[in-house]
Amino acid sequence: MRRSLAFQRFVANRAAVAGVGVVVSLAVFAIVVPWVASHDPWTSDFARGVAATGGPVGPSRDFPLGADRIFRDELVRLAYGARLSLLIALSATVLSSLVGGLVGVASGYYEGRAPDMVLMRVVDVGLAFPFLLLVMAIGAALGKTSPGTLLVVLGLTGWLGSARIVRAKTIQIRSADFIAASRALGQTTGQILLLHVLPNVLGPITVLATLSVAQMIVAESVLSYLGAGVAPPTPTWGHMLLEGQDSVMMAPWLLVAPALAILTSVVGFNLLGEGLRDLLDPGRAGAR
Amino acid sequence: MRSRSFLVVPSLLAAGACNTPFPAPIAEGHPGDATPRRGGTLHLGSFADIHGLDPAVTSDDLAASIIEELFAGLVDYDASAQIVPDLAERYETSDDGKVYRFFLRQGVRFHDGSELTAPDVKRSIERALHPTTPNPAASFYDTIAGYGAYTQGTAAHLDGVVVEGRYVVAIRLRETDARFLSVFALHGLRPVCPSAGDRYDDAWQPCGAGPYKLAPGDWDRGRSLRLTRHEGYFRPGLPHIDAISWTFGMNRASELYAFEDGALDLTHDLGDTELQALRADPRWAPFLAPEPDRIIDGEVMNTELPPFDNVEVRRAVAAAIDRDHYRAYKPESLSPNAQALPPAVPGFDPRFDGQHYDYAAALAHMAKAGYPYDPRTRVGGYPGVVPYYLMRQGSTEYTAQILAQELAKIGIRLELHLVSWPTFLSLAYRRGTVAMADPGWAMDYPDPSDFFEALFSSKAINEEQSTNTAFYRSARVDDLIERARHELDREKRMALFTEANHIVCDDAPWAFTVSRRLEDVVQPYVRGFKPHPVWTFHVANAWLDRASSASTRRELGQAFPPFLRSARASAAW
Repeated sequence: MRRSLAFQRFVANRAAVAGVGVVVSLAVFAIVVPWVASHDPWTSDFARGVAATGGPVGPSRDFPLGADRIFRDELVRLAYGARLSLLIALSATVLSSLVGGLVGVASGYYEGRAPDMVLMRVVDVGLAFPFLLLVMAIGAALGKTSPGTLLVVLGLTGWLGSARIVRAKTIQIRSADFIAASRALGQTTGQILLLHVLPNVLGPITVLATLSVAQMIVAESVLSYLGAGVAPPTPTWGHMLLEGQDSVMMAPWLLVAPALAILTSVVGFNLLGEGLRDLLDPGRAGAR
Repeated sequence: MRSRSFLVVPSLLAAGACNTPFPAPIAEGHPGDATPRRGGTLHLGSFADIHGLDPAVTSDDLAASIIEELFAGLVDYDASAQIVPDLAERYETSDDGKVYRFFLRQGVRFHDGSELTAPDVKRSIERALHPTTPNPAASFYDTIAGYGAYTQGTAAHLDGVVVEGRYVVAIRLRETDARFLSVFALHGLRPVCPSAGDRYDDAWQPCGAGPYKLAPGDWDRGRSLRLTRHEGYFRPGLPHIDAISWTFGMNRASELYAFEDGALDLTHDLGDTELQALRADPRWAPFLAPEPDRIIDGEVMNTELPPFDNVEVRRAVAAAIDRDHYRAYKPESLSPNAQALPPAVPGFDPRFDGQHYDYAAALAHMAKAGYPYDPRTRVGGYPGVVPYYLMRQGSTEYTAQILAQELAKIGIRLELHLVSWPTFLSLAYRRGTVAMADPGWAMDYPDPSDFFEALFSSKAINEEQSTNTAFYRSARVDDLIERARHELDREKRMALFTEANHIVCDDAPWAFTVSRRLEDVVQPYVRGFKPHPVWTFHVANAWLDRASSASTRRELGQAFPPFLRSARASAAW
């Protein structure tokens, strides 16, 4: 009964449904297009990719989004870029949610004591750094940037905000009567955290994570745009944006395509995240 | 309303597909009349910046264009790259090629009004080669007698430069040096005003005997610079244009808009797509002026590091690259090139097919190297991964990706490492560090020695800042280069370089790929300008002939911003 009510509430939220639609479409695009395409994203087509003017061909039947500067299929590259961007953003989000959740719960449960003081000062220091600058500095220190290092760097720097929020939520739950009751029943700290606190903070973590995916997509694009992301020829949206910028006057599709991809996915994940928040936050739902 | 927003995307796409047209050029005032007119300000701009204007220490391309206007030399390159007397009225060379005697023009005035005499020439040369002067090109002049003692600080003066009279100066060399005059015509040793003193000083206000001068306060470092006519210039009536105004650090897009607007009179920073559109437009096509092909690109293979210590692997790489694929990336500015010299440099042989694409041969070389590769099964090849270094956002970012495709077909896997420009400079020229990269080489002076001595002589191998980035050593090539230095007979000298060219192409320390050329676009009202073969923007003989006194399209009432044009193009679609 509760489930169907929640479902109805979610379905009634048109923005959230649109968010789901965008995210599912993105996933389908990323999976299906490279599979059915006749080009691969790494190989130049010097025969069909070159227009009569000598430049890359524009949007056409062979190349639905045109060819890039060295005559590769922009659509297939965009789809591969989607795979990479989504993979990095999702993995980094899982990592950052895990770390943020653990730190937040531990810190909140031990509020005011040594673990909390130490962890929150770490968070303070981390939040004082501009996020992208920090990510770039770590990226530069690692030297070579692969998708793996990128997701680890993003994941390990993106947990700070969620740790703060989860901590606040944990403090709120910790003082609830049912926690006092379980403590009186003789449950250990581990059991209380695992069985009572964690399930109650899972909702906010999920919402934060969904919103964080959008942030990670942007972060990955910015890094690639600035040349600190994954090295070519691996297609990433940020790097495609950078390449497109060079030819904006004469081949604007090379700029418009990745820009729209980034925009759409960020909007999609944000809509989905807000829909989930409305769904999972009883306080907000009650207010309606 | 809602449906309109969905039209934005196709409209933008269409704007591109329609190849945004350029506005009509701003007309010249007196078509067909070749009488130079005096006056006006020429506006130039660049995305780059200059760091100095002292001829003794500056070597970058952009500064060279400005130094050429500020500092005249005893000899200079003319419009066809021939060496001609300039501040010297004439010069003589001894039969053994060891003494050059220059007879100065009398009455030549520096910008500060003082007269140029032979002691000024000696003082300027000693200032430029003094051990405390950070002159990057000092070694060009190492054959002047007494160079070693003077540059090591054991002699107070440079013995080889002798004042023989108020207007006569002789330069004695310790050995015959066939390229001496070529490097002497460069900027490094040009006469500077007495105010420069006899030691390099960072704070010195540039002052020479060129057609333009720099007034105090007219250089806003990092932003702009204004040169004004030197009224005492020794060539009567020249220069025609009153002033040259430079803007530095311009965004390439704003450079394009400024050019369209008439706020820039000349540019060579346009991208290939814009150049293609201009060339296709009959109103603009006559105002494109190609600069000489004087830059070579190539995939440099470090002969001291695996797998390129194996000559067969290098030959395989040289044969695996289809140069037309490189050209396709930038057809306006790249031409396939298969040898050690670009077309604008004497010694380039258009009939010599030094290195060329031959896939079967490339596979055969791989097999000979011990790394046979079967393209059908994709089995074999070099087992390791070759790191390739390139700088971010340069055109090598694209050519490197083409190279990676070409080499994958013969079983060599590249891993691209993008680094910043300063990192690239420090790595690519350091010994034992980079296996493969494309640092390119641009002509300093129009002579084959500029390429062979710097790129392929074992003398150019250093632990740091090595210009021989392949760290290539060939006793035969070294010997040919040395003999060419002492050979005064031009034909015999060129034959020596031809032989060296053949050896280098076969040994393949470089897989030569393309020669690179920039294209100047000139407003129709800039008359008498032709890109200089060595100095690019040398405008002392040019003049301005605008139809109106208004200086920009906006003032002429022809405002038509580019984005509006895009909108119109898409509306039409």
